[in-house]
Amino acid sequence: MKNGQQAIRVTVARKAFPPVADRPEQLVLSGVDLAVEEGSFVVLTGPSGCGKSTLLNIVAGLDKDYSGKLEFGHRDARLSFMFQTPRLLPWRTVEQNIRYVLDDDDADADAKVAAILERVGLSASANAYPERLSLGMQRRAALARAFVVEPDILLMDEPFVSLDDPSADSLRALLIELWNRRPTTVLFVTHDRIEAVMLATRLVRLGGTPAGIVQDSEVKLSPTERLDREKVLAARLRLFENA
Amino acid sequence: MALDHHTIATGRVGRGIIGSVLSGRLVWTLVSFLSLLALWALVAGLLQSRLFPGPIDVSAKFMTEAASGELGHHVGVTLLRVAAAFFVAMFIGSAIGIALGRAKGADQFFDTWLIFFLNLPALVTIILCYVWFGLTEMAAVLAVTINKIPNVAVTVREGARSLSRDLTEMAEIYRFGTWKTLRHVTLPQLAPFIAAAARGGLALVWKIVLVVELLGRPDGVGRQLYDGFQLFDVSMILAYAIAFILVVQFIELAVLQPIEARVNRWRR
Ligand SMILES: Nc1ncnc2c1ncn2[C@@H]1O[C@H](COP(=O)(O)OP(=O)(O)OP(=O)(O)O)[C@@H](O)[C@H]1O
Ligand SMILES: [Mg+2]
Repeated sequence: MKNGQQAIRVTVARKAFPPVADRPEQLVLSGVDLAVEEGSFVVLTGPSGCGKSTLLNIVAGLDKDYSGKLEFGHRDARLSFMFQTPRLLPWRTVEQNIRYVLDDDDADADAKVAAILERVGLSASANAYPERLSLGMQRRAALARAFVVEPDILLMDEPFVSLDDPSADSLRALLIELWNRRPTTVLFVTHDRIEAVMLATRLVRLGGTPAGIVQDSEVKLSPTERLDREKVLAARLRLFENA
Repeated sequence: MALDHHTIATGRVGRGIIGSVLSGRLVWTLVSFLSLLALWALVAGLLQSRLFPGPIDVSAKFMTEAASGELGHHVGVTLLRVAAAFFVAMFIGSAIGIALGRAKGADQFFDTWLIFFLNLPALVTIILCYVWFGLTEMAAVLAVTINKIPNVAVTVREGARSLSRDLTEMAEIYRFGTWKTLRHVTLPQLAPFIAAAARGGLALVWKIVLVVELLGRPDGVGRQLYDGFQLFDVSMILAYAIAFILVVQFIELAVLQPIEARVNRWRR
């Protein structure tokens, strides 16, 4: 959160998906201009299908087919992306899945992997294959993988959906812990308004067709207030009053 | 006391093995095999013909051929040819299959070529290779390889077309690079297709190698079968056929199945 330097600047003048078979061309995003300050936790919300994942994929560099511009504060910014599904390699163990995202010549790889596995509580499952683990554990592994590379920028696309409440809560707590330990610029997509208020330092809402930014608010809550259900509910009402 | 324990333990193990054998596949394999042998012996006994030797004659022939070293030599030579053609074809065929599965343009362009080679009769390739390159070892192996490559390519192409985009994106985000992506992301997804190509391919290569040997090699199982045919020595033909079947089964059980089990370890 130092000196308000920009970590990401993305402008999407126009993003459309080409026509397929009987469907005409789909204009999804237009006139989006988003600058993300270093160390901030930006939560991106908006109605289903409005283009949140599309925007995240553009920021990730996975989608280059748009008119606009993408810049990072660091020349060679290191990215992590936690997808909606864990996207672990099913034929590699949890430990291997995490190790492979580190450079081959990283001398501290062993220590880093062991430490992050410990942190997310997966030490005992290090040698298990991902599909034999519960979804919550797979998500933990994906979170560990995202953090082990010590990213400058962390992109998350509804990473905690379809989990039961306790599992989602504990993963959120883990995310907050990891984020506090090593502040990272986060761009986080979610539908869950409570989750949004709990995590965000800034809330950006997409809307309209084609979608643009319809709301952009600071979330000024202290860490203790974020754990206070009353405060979170009040902030939610305030932030989403015209949603 | 210790002795008692030991006896009880052994007894258990004994019952365990017998029990599992009785309930398992092994018994059926044995019953099936013995009845085939019995039927063969029965027919041979009824016919009493030199052209239809029974199991005893054939195993006698098998033993003399094995003792003289002839059998080992010819089976070994055939095995080497099979191995050479198999590995070269698997490597080149997989590379072509991956390339075609990933690049749509190339796939469309080369589709006709692939169909041509797929439908080219094996015998034509063999004859042309011998005509163009002489009756050499290289020509023999080349002919088999060319026969097999299109099959491998088509099977692997199917796998390459269905590669998971999710995982490719993951590898891109985490900067896996070409080599790591191939090794940890692409090849494991292709493994079932490569295994299918290997299985189907091995069966094909075995058979084509015999024809190649028959047409233009001085040794190998194919050559021995041809000699047996010339001399009307049916015992010899059957002895080599059985040696051949034994080797193929051994490779299936001792090499292919363990590899498949290992590759599939991660599946639930
Ligand atoms: N590959 C694609 N080809 C064509 N259209 C697409 C493609 N991907 C997304 N779209 C369309 O673009 C629009 C935005 O999709 P996107 O996945 O970004 O929405 P979203 O805001 O993430 O929705 P959700 O909250 O449901 O995840 C949708 O209408 C979708 O149909
Ligand atoms: Mg989405």
